[in-house]
Amino acid sequence: MEETLDDWFKREILAHEESLVRYLFRSWSRHQEVYDLRQDIYVRVYEAAIHSRPLAPKSFLFATARHLMTDRIRRRRIVSIDAVEDLDALNVMIDCISPERRTSAHQELRRLAEAIDHVPPKCRETIWLRRVDDLSQKEVAEKLGIAQKTVEKHVMKGMKLLAAALYRNEGGLPPRGEVLIAKDSEAEHGKPQTG
Amino acid sequence: MENHKQVEDKAAAWLARRDSGIWSEVDQAHLTRWLEESIAHRVAFLRLEAVWDETRRVKALGAGRAPGTVPAPGEWRHAPFFESGRQPYGAAVAGASTPSPADDVRAIEQSLQAASSPSAEFKPRARRWRLIAMAASLLLAVGIGGYVAFSPAPDHFSTPIGGIASVPLQDGSNITLNTASKVRVDLSPNERRIELQQGEAFFEVAKDPKRPFIVRIGNKRVIAVGTKFSIRRGEHNFRVAVTEGKVRVETVADSAASGDTRNGVRALPQASDAAGAESPRNSGLGEAFLTSGSIASVGDDGIVIEEQPRGELEDDLSWRQGYLTFHDKTLASVVAEFNRYNTHKIAIQDPRIAAIRISGTFRAVNYKAFIRVLNDGFSIQAKSTEDTTILTE
Repeated sequence: MEETLDDWFKREILAHEESLVRYLFRSWSRHQEVYDLRQDIYVRVYEAAIHSRPLAPKSFLFATARHLMTDRIRRRRIVSIDAVEDLDALNVMIDCISPERRTSAHQELRRLAEAIDHVPPKCRETIWLRRVDDLSQKEVAEKLGIAQKTVEKHVMKGMKLLAAALYRNEGGLPPRGEVLIAKDSEAEHGKPQTG
Repeated sequence: MENHKQVEDKAAAWLARRDSGIWSEVDQAHLTRWLEESIAHRVAFLRLEAVWDETRRVKALGAGRAPGTVPAPGEWRHAPFFESGRQPYGAAVAGASTPSPADDVRAIEQSLQAASSPSAEFKPRARRWRLIAMAASLLLAVGIGGYVAFSPAPDHFSTPIGGIASVPLQDGSNITLNTASKVRVDLSPNERRIELQQGEAFFEVAKDPKRPFIVRIGNKRVIAVGTKFSIRRGEHNFRVAVTEGKVRVETVADSAASGDTRNGVRALPQASDAAGAESPRNSGLGEAFLTSGSIASVGDDGIVIEEQPRGELEDDLSWRQGYLTFHDKTLASVVAEFNRYNTHKIAIQDPRIAAIRISGTFRAVNYKAFIRVLNDGFSIQAKSTEDTTILTE
């Protein structure tokens, strides 16, 4: 059976969100715009994929990101000194930016469990009962003694918080343990030396 | 177009409602219509749906637990699924077959190096996980068995000009090194000793009241328990900026305690004149407390503390993302900053342009873009050779 476009999009495009957002943070100085940029990039990629799915999805995703940023810079009427994204800097080698997120099931689970630990308590209980014990929202409501609508709200909130945590993309800092390669064209300068 | 927050909120509301089980064909039709309204809706929906599907995996953590009870955060580490990854308490202390914490630090170095080479995509990740797992198991061992003695040899980390590196420490703290910087790390059971030998670093300190986190700069010490702060060394003084929590700055009175050979370290003299007119507060004592949002300049003639609006502090730390942010700074000082990050040096030949005020955000290593802007925006002429650029009016 042929894979649906939606499933393809999740697997080939959304899987790169962590790298993509980090790339945007480093290339785009107006950090508050990054998440809207991300949305526009996804829209463009999805639109293009309706017609034909790119053969190299990751490169296509980053190329789209680059084009979109370039367009935005050109469209600005006034180029202020406050917004000097320079176009050369956008041409970084994508593969330098971050290692792929390919971890074992064990590690994925650990990461997920850690993310769940960090959502507010009520929200966490709801997710646990709903997902681990497979209780329905109605049963969760009875168990916790809260309204069913409230459970629905916890699910909604939990989903958003987990998305942010799992894609590790709220906040502009690189995640702990990653190396930021400051000089993109000369990646070898970015590594620390031990002495 | 709606912004990403609005779209995400709606997508989450749809998913949560579908998850409620109260879901009719009419609801489905409404959802389908919403999804078809715009591709932005669809991609936001897919994104959250993927995450929600992913949470199914946590089922594995429920094994061996009474259904309907929610364990405390972190308790899942004891789940059978994770049991095999744990180190027994005894092994973490002495066993020769167990990697020592010193190995951890070395492995971090390796992973840092490996991560910067494009071909090493998979390996560093695996190593890092091993490290995190090991750090967790050590913590666990401490929790169960009490005190674990380990005293790895000190390690050195450094960055070249233009480099930035994140150095995770085995206690859960993290050091971000700026351009041309050098630290020495020595984690002992009673103290976490760091020496900032050169440059600038941002410290995120894991809370551990029993093991103070001490950063030495020459004969001064900056002491933290759990906090975030940065230190930048100058020629004769250094700057401390605290973004979270509280730190104490003091002069090292006892040279034996510091572990280096410097003798005759004196306490800070009363330096009422050192503050100058622009400083709101001056501590003439040999010790000062800095709270979140303050920046202090520390030298042999005293400590000058300024309270800063949070925005300024953030500007100050934008190097961690590879940017330099300036607000109304002279061209001379901006050029000096660029020279810290690049082997290509910029010089101002004409004193008349040195006082031009600059505001803006630039990539630290992209001096070329900066020079281009000076040329476009201020008609400053630039003459470049391979390794220098001279600015004239």
